[in-house]
Amino acid sequence: MLFENNSMEKFLFNLILVLVSAGIQAQEIALPDLQGYKKVTNYPVYTPDNLWDFLDGAADTYLSYGFTDLHVAEYKKGKDVIKLEIYTHKDDVQSFGIYSAERSPSFIFINVGAQGYKTDGTLNFFKGKYYIKIRTYSKSQKVLQAVETLANKVSNMLTGSSEMPVVLKEFPDMGKKPNEETYIRQSVLGHEFLSGAFKAQYTSGNSDFTIFIFKKSSTEESSKTIASYLKSAGIEMDSQTEGKYIFKDGYNGDIFLSWKEDTIVIIAGLAKDQTALAGSYISEIIR
Amino acid sequence: MQLNRRKFLRTGISGAAGVIALSPVLKSVESSELSKNILYRNLGKTGIKVPVVSFGVMRADNPNLCKAAYENGIRLFDTANGYQNGNNEAMLGNLFKNYPRDTFYISTKIKPDGVDQQGNPDSQFSIDDFLSKFKTSLSRLQMDYVDILCVHDVRNAALLEYKPLVNALKDLKAKGKIKFIGFSTHNNMDTVISAAAELKNWDVIITSYNYKLNNIPEMDGALKKANEAGIGIIAMKTLSGGGFLDREKTKPINSTAAIKWVLSNPNIHTVIPGMTAFDHLDMNIKLLEDITMNEQEKKDLLIAEAEPGLFCTGCNHCLRNCPLGLPVPDLMRAYMYAYGYSNPGLAYQLLGELGTGSSPCSDCHFCGVKCTSRFNVRDRIADISRLVDVPGDFII
Repeated sequence: MLFENNSMEKFLFNLILVLVSAGIQAQEIALPDLQGYKKVTNYPVYTPDNLWDFLDGAADTYLSYGFTDLHVAEYKKGKDVIKLEIYTHKDDVQSFGIYSAERSPSFIFINVGAQGYKTDGTLNFFKGKYYIKIRTYSKSQKVLQAVETLANKVSNMLTGSSEMPVVLKEFPDMGKKPNEETYIRQSVLGHEFLSGAFKAQYTSGNSDFTIFIFKKSSTEESSKTIASYLKSAGIEMDSQTEGKYIFKDGYNGDIFLSWKEDTIVIIAGLAKDQTALAGSYISEIIR
Repeated sequence: MQLNRRKFLRTGISGAAGVIALSPVLKSVESSELSKNILYRNLGKTGIKVPVVSFGVMRADNPNLCKAAYENGIRLFDTANGYQNGNNEAMLGNLFKNYPRDTFYISTKIKPDGVDQQGNPDSQFSIDDFLSKFKTSLSRLQMDYVDILCVHDVRNAALLEYKPLVNALKDLKAKGKIKFIGFSTHNNMDTVISAAAELKNWDVIITSYNYKLNNIPEMDGALKKANEAGIGIIAMKTLSGGGFLDREKTKPINSTAAIKWVLSNPNIHTVIPGMTAFDHLDMNIKLLEDITMNEQEKKDLLIAEAEPGLFCTGCNHCLRNCPLGLPVPDLMRAYMYAYGYSNPGLAYQLLGELGTGSSPCSDCHFCGVKCTSRFNVRDRIADISRLVDVPGDFII
């Protein structure tokens, strides 16, 4: 035997720790066929170490959203080419994060996966932990139809939820700009101590403002986050379970911050004299 | 009142009167309004004098961060048509529409389709598509022109001489839609930079450059040649692609030292570190005035340089030295999957495909492999290959 038993046990133990803490796995994805097209899979399976080869500088954004692997295929018929990219992320919040980072409200939204859109020969959607991008340079209606057919095939093939993240339902509807919600994993409002926020854009009268909702794992986690933010603004925290604050963030202007247990709400973009407006939104989220 | 740099930055952003004259009143990039001794370098023969630190916008999603950078003296902002599917350019457009156009520089990049994996243009290459993307970029940026338009990801000199592309870029320049023609590169950099130096078409190069490269002499030679040819050089990936040196992620890279090292090369004219947080900006703002490496930074860099890290560069030098002909780069990749990315499943899969077994070096008593990244190849192979003996059910 190559290794002593205790050595192997230690290795296994460490390995399992790594597996549990990482919570991620290697993916094997069977790319679907598309009738009338020849499927070509000349690309390697991209992983975090070589995603740069495929995406250049854009890779960093994908990596920041828990990217684990990418499968690429091309479907060829004469001169027409359809390119399929299936990005796997750590979970469905991360896949929504990267999807929404690349989404624009000006696109044409379609019912595929949890949500998808079309623009200029591109069809992107997300489902579960997957973010799928399909692209062609052909202007032919037949090819564009084949893109949609492929999208539906891929959507049916992939497992995972076809629902938008449940936290999005907590954003009040009034004044919310459609299809502008995003998930920011790191450095919310440019602060390293603020992470993991859903963000929605609002308009009210002449005011444009932003609401962030954080869902922390516990009251204690929320409390730590709040304490860091308040400390940076020179304010002392007055409760370990909930609180409401208005203060000036030197970088981002007036901030309305409210929290209770595992939920934190931040509103940026409103002035101090708009406290009533901010309060009405916050009270819809934190009851 | 004596303000420390952190407070200085914050106060500036919050707009306290008397500390910093806020930017919309600026008239000239070079007549700095700031009470700072910002270090400028000539960006080749472009005529642009650029602060030594610029802004890699690619991951930034908070316009206040770019605004703060501008208000503290950063003038060149680098984005790309593909970053955040265009939202990155749109964010810059919404911000800079409020500032005089001659007070900042925008560099954007477009990746032409129809370029194969080796970087050669192929039959799918479409200049119309490239130009259409550029039009979209201008629209998102809400600008009549960009200062630098780069061909994104040039890894083969053939693309630098590809007439449909070069002629289209020259045409855009003649029409005033772009001020300067450039390209970005992070593969085969020394070769393409040298090639560009011998051509007359290229004004600016954005290249990977950091203290961990395994071909620094070749890169330095190419950069010198490019500088002498009057090409402006912008460095990216200055932190060697990661924030940590070790597999346990306990040794963060001293990023200030890493950037100072890059700027110690006079042929590098500015750097574009990616910034997503005000803390990053705060740190990089300091570099605008002072790029002298202190003793601690020198020590940190020496330690970092000596640390092999986790990333196999794929130089393949090891393949010539291994007496057993093992696929060493692939085994190093498996090691990185397990320890760098906490993804032993992928490592397990790769090891299975390689078929090298659980102790590939056991019949070899002398390891002749000299790894250019200074990995202890034999130890790493022994370590990761044990995974083969782990029952598959344990691997998620």
